[in-house]
Amino acid sequence: MTIKEKFQELKKQGRKAFVAYVPYGFPTIAKTRDIIIALQEAGVDIIELGIPFSDPVADGAVIQEAASIALKNGANTKNLFDTLNRIKKDIKVPVALMTYYNPVFRFGVEDFFKSMNEAGVSGILTVDLPIDEASEYLRQAKKHKIETVFFITPVTPISRAKKILKASKGFLYYISVTGTTGVREISYDSLSGHIKQLKKETDLPVCVGFGVHTKEQFKNICKFSDGAIIGSAIVKFIKENHTRGNFLNSFKNYVRSLRAEHN
Amino acid sequence: MPIPDKKGYYGSFGGKFMPETLFSCLSELEVFYGKVKKENSFKKEFQFYLKNYAGRPTLLYFAKNLSKHLGMKIYLKREDLLHTGAHKINNSLGQALLAHHMGKSRIIAETGAGQHGVSAATVARLFNLKCDVYMGEEDIRRQRMNVFRMKILGARVIPVKSGSKTLKDACNEAIRDWVTNVRDTYYLIGSTFGPHPYPMIVRDFQSVIGKEARQQILKEQNRLPDYLLACVGGGSNSMGLFYPFFKDLKVKFIGVEAGGLNKDLNSASISYGDVGVLHGAKTYVLQDKFGQVKGTHSIAAGLDYPGVGPEHSFYNDLKRAAYVAVKDNEALEGFKMLSELEGIIPALESAHAISYLKKLAKKAKGALVIVCLSGRGDKDLEIVQESLDK
Repeated sequence: MTIKEKFQELKKQGRKAFVAYVPYGFPTIAKTRDIIIALQEAGVDIIELGIPFSDPVADGAVIQEAASIALKNGANTKNLFDTLNRIKKDIKVPVALMTYYNPVFRFGVEDFFKSMNEAGVSGILTVDLPIDEASEYLRQAKKHKIETVFFITPVTPISRAKKILKASKGFLYYISVTGTTGVREISYDSLSGHIKQLKKETDLPVCVGFGVHTKEQFKNICKFSDGAIIGSAIVKFIKENHTRGNFLNSFKNYVRSLRAEHN
Repeated sequence: MPIPDKKGYYGSFGGKFMPETLFSCLSELEVFYGKVKKENSFKKEFQFYLKNYAGRPTLLYFAKNLSKHLGMKIYLKREDLLHTGAHKINNSLGQALLAHHMGKSRIIAETGAGQHGVSAATVARLFNLKCDVYMGEEDIRRQRMNVFRMKILGARVIPVKSGSKTLKDACNEAIRDWVTNVRDTYYLIGSTFGPHPYPMIVRDFQSVIGKEARQQILKEQNRLPDYLLACVGGGSNSMGLFYPFFKDLKVKFIGVEAGGLNKDLNSASISYGDVGVLHGAKTYVLQDKFGQVKGTHSIAAGLDYPGVGPEHSFYNDLKRAAYVAVKDNEALEGFKMLSELEGIIPALESAHAISYLKKLAKKAKGALVIVCLSGRGDKDLEIVQESLDK
């Protein structure tokens, strides 16, 4: 399923998107499969699977630590695609890879997009690849039918936002604050203003990420956007609970609790 | 065609690979720098501080004993004589002026050996800016004196505990701070790396080294040198020396990278790395085959970095400059050689370039050489003591 199709389905149902981020290879490579399936069973609409990187400049402490553990576990782009190819028949929701550019560049941009297509991946988000550097990336994405999600932030001028929207497929990722990933408070007034302004420019769904970690935030954000992305809070839950008995059940319950009932 | 081009590329290297949040402030800096660069008032102000505060021009010193010892004519460009003890002050003064005129109230910096941190802390006092310096815990341990200097200068030194706890990780933390405080904070990058326009700005501010050296050698010897030699970490002292000679094709450039312990553990990004994207630029990076950046090592904290300025990568592929690696123990020999023959104690970074003179002498007897003595060695005495005791 593509991200676009997922949003069409959600729209028909009058629901908003719950996008969940988890890093590949954390807490172990083997557990990534169980976690993805659990997210799906807990009603997550889109899964963002993070590719661990040695120098994650846009991430806060929680995701930095998870990435570093994943790398120690031997996670790399090759075994990522092997894993995805093994489990793709069990995944019904769209999966998007969230990455920094160097692992993609080193893999070879064309080979990377080809592998994504083969592994059933729907989309890609590359944190440190602005549209200005993305011409080859966009060409390969088009060729291999991968949806390219880009970012807009509170300090992006509207003239630039328009260009970013043009290059974006699937949804637009609005970064709630200037800062790195991680749990924090969000001020809704300016956020809703920015998003309303963007909605005038595009039909593309707009989802909000960075800082989102509670059901209340999720609910408030969905009043003016098409969905929310929760990452660090989920990663923290995994970190603190994965060694306990019955982890996958408690994990599913936790993930379900993040979504407001009517969304 | 101007180098870099409009998109910040040096051939196929460079660019702006940064999170979207930083994009508008990079554009703001690019436009602002483009404007003041042409203004005489900015140039005059910069030159005023270089002369009256930093102590320029620096000497081009004929190293008589060393020349005799190695059978070449060796001149040292004495950046070690500048205020704060290294070439870093040239760039810090220029960028602090930019921050000041852009109305930023706070600067942040990354530092390895602490020389850039000290120079940033210094100019922060001069222009009354708040200053936070990110420094890896490992570097804090091995460069204690510079940490103390920064503190005396009123800067906050923030220890970086992530990754290899050295310069690379200090850069990561500085970028995270910048992403968060982008509205009022100026990131004073210390070398010719990072996203465009930084490599260009740092090169321009450091090119005073090469401009002076060119005039001085013409006056002394009435000809251009055969070789320019400088150490390369991020690559600012070397690019500062090389750049004004770019069109003098008979002048050969040699960049000396940190060969560390061996081929597996070093900081020689061009010698042993592959093209990748790190800290905003496409350039040579020490990395594994999956694009994960490797841990590095050098006895010289200021060279201990897994990337290199994109313009150096360009010079390498263009074959305009040759890049060689000098190991820790060879750098120590260079350190001793200059101290004993000339009474000048070099920084361990610069000692890499000094050391390579021995190899160069074997194939270039009688050559006229300028070496950039980028910094003084006071900060390294403990490290040298430790290795002599071993």
